[in-house]
Amino acid sequence: MSAPLALEKNSLKIGFIALLDCAPLVVAREKGFFEKYGLNVVLCKESSWASIRDKVSFGLYDAAHMLAPIPLASTLGLNGNKTPMLTALSLSQNGTAITLSQELYLQLSELVADWDHQQHVGEKFKTLINRNNKKPVIATVYPYSNHHYQLRYWLEENGINADKDIQLVAVPPTKMLSNLSNGVIDGYCVGEPWNSLALMEQIGGLLTTGHTIWGDHMEKVLGVTQSWADNHPQSHQALIKALYEACQWAEADQNRTELFELLSLPPYLDQAASKLANYHSPYNMQQRFHGESVNAPDLAHGSFLLKQMQKCGQIPASHVVDDSIVKSVYRHDLYKSWIA
Amino acid sequence: MSNSKRLNVLLIDDEPERLKALEKALHAIGHHVVCQLPNTSDLNKHVEDNHPDIVIIDMDSPNRDTLESMATMSKNNPRPIVFFAEQQNDRKTMSDAINAGVSAYIADGLQPDRVKAIMDTAIAHFDAHSSLRAELESTKNQLADRKVIEKAKGMLMKHQGCDEKQAFETLRKLAMDRGQKLPNVAQNVIEVLELTNGLQNR
Repeated sequence: MSAPLALEKNSLKIGFIALLDCAPLVVAREKGFFEKYGLNVVLCKESSWASIRDKVSFGLYDAAHMLAPIPLASTLGLNGNKTPMLTALSLSQNGTAITLSQELYLQLSELVADWDHQQHVGEKFKTLINRNNKKPVIATVYPYSNHHYQLRYWLEENGINADKDIQLVAVPPTKMLSNLSNGVIDGYCVGEPWNSLALMEQIGGLLTTGHTIWGDHMEKVLGVTQSWADNHPQSHQALIKALYEACQWAEADQNRTELFELLSLPPYLDQAASKLANYHSPYNMQQRFHGESVNAPDLAHGSFLLKQMQKCGQIPASHVVDDSIVKSVYRHDLYKSWIA
Repeated sequence: MSNSKRLNVLLIDDEPERLKALEKALHAIGHHVVCQLPNTSDLNKHVEDNHPDIVIIDMDSPNRDTLESMATMSKNNPRPIVFFAEQQNDRKTMSDAINAGVSAYIADGLQPDRVKAIMDTAIAHFDAHSSLRAELESTKNQLADRKVIEKAKGMLMKHQGCDEKQAFETLRKLAMDRGQKLPNVAQNVIEVLELTNGLQNR
């Protein structure tokens, strides 16, 4: 083993959102991977991606669990506050899905003959929208997210205009289930556990998964500011190594029961995780924490995200963005040099 | 946009005392609070109905992401709201706001100096409230409840390696998310963490 790292800082604060894919952070703390690399980490639960971004930007947190597009959006200054950010580790792959209300799902089921055939499902969904005299209200959580771009992508692929044929709204994840069951919204595109919970409680049906729409893609990353990375190269490296080992642990089948025990502790996912512990979804969302090409920051997906931001007007046409920005945000090179 | 100095402010905050105090203070500097909301279920509608010039929101509210989504979706909305920093470009105020736990979204085209006065007032109230909150909490609860909360806080500090303030925040957020009272949440946290420690020491 190589010499221990000379850490610039060993007490770190890391922000996270209570989603299934914060697992590597919880595992790294609870199973001692942070400790192994000399890090003393406090995990701080946040209620919004906006706060995650702000607290990392302004140095209240050293790092955070982030949606893959956030470091890019922040570097571009799309949400107002322009702070260059980067990621050297993808924490998870896939795990999002589009869920419809029970009512809309049953209506669609009468029309769909083959759920595995995306184009067919899309055609029938369009037929249903035209037949019903009401635009379906579909919710997403955050504008700079795979979910948001996936929903638009799927609709567009199927000739449905996201701005005209449906009504796009925003709802916090914790309100999705209640809004779906009381008819405020007719569907949503979010990450786990919110799709599985809707299926379990029989208030929704699954339209399609993010993996079906895009294939494998990075979902959550560990984000830091560029300046934090510059000032703490050794601590950053220790953090990435610890989390990489935690990703391996979280993915291993034999650890599944314990993983859910850890996630269901009150400071993390609390009771939502215990509900899911024994649930086996009829649909595989292909959510992974480790495996071939899961953890390396993906430049191709970074470029793809940049295009989605341009396509839906988040980056004005007048603002020319060079693709080289992707390389400065998704640091495949750091990952390569740290993870042997 | 109206030319009058009076701005329409929408307040979103789960702390009733702070909400009331801030409304009063904004009124005193000549602004109009169009709506105050605790945790709301249909923010989209409230923003459309009330046309706020500025939205002041608790940093911890999950509705922040909803507001930011609305800002990017509002092509049809006559009054797009933008993130505070986009207009202000004032890192000091931003930093003070984040440290105080307040964030703001502002209608496009508003004059920065008018916004600054509102921000400063909000920041001052959030700052004052956080130091009061611990005190309020301890006088509000019965002795037995206080003991349970103290014990749960101590166990969380040990388990999470965090300070007292964050342990208390964790309890408060759990109470909000579960829709339960603080002492009940504290009792449950003690039970869960005792069980966890038991398993680890096996």
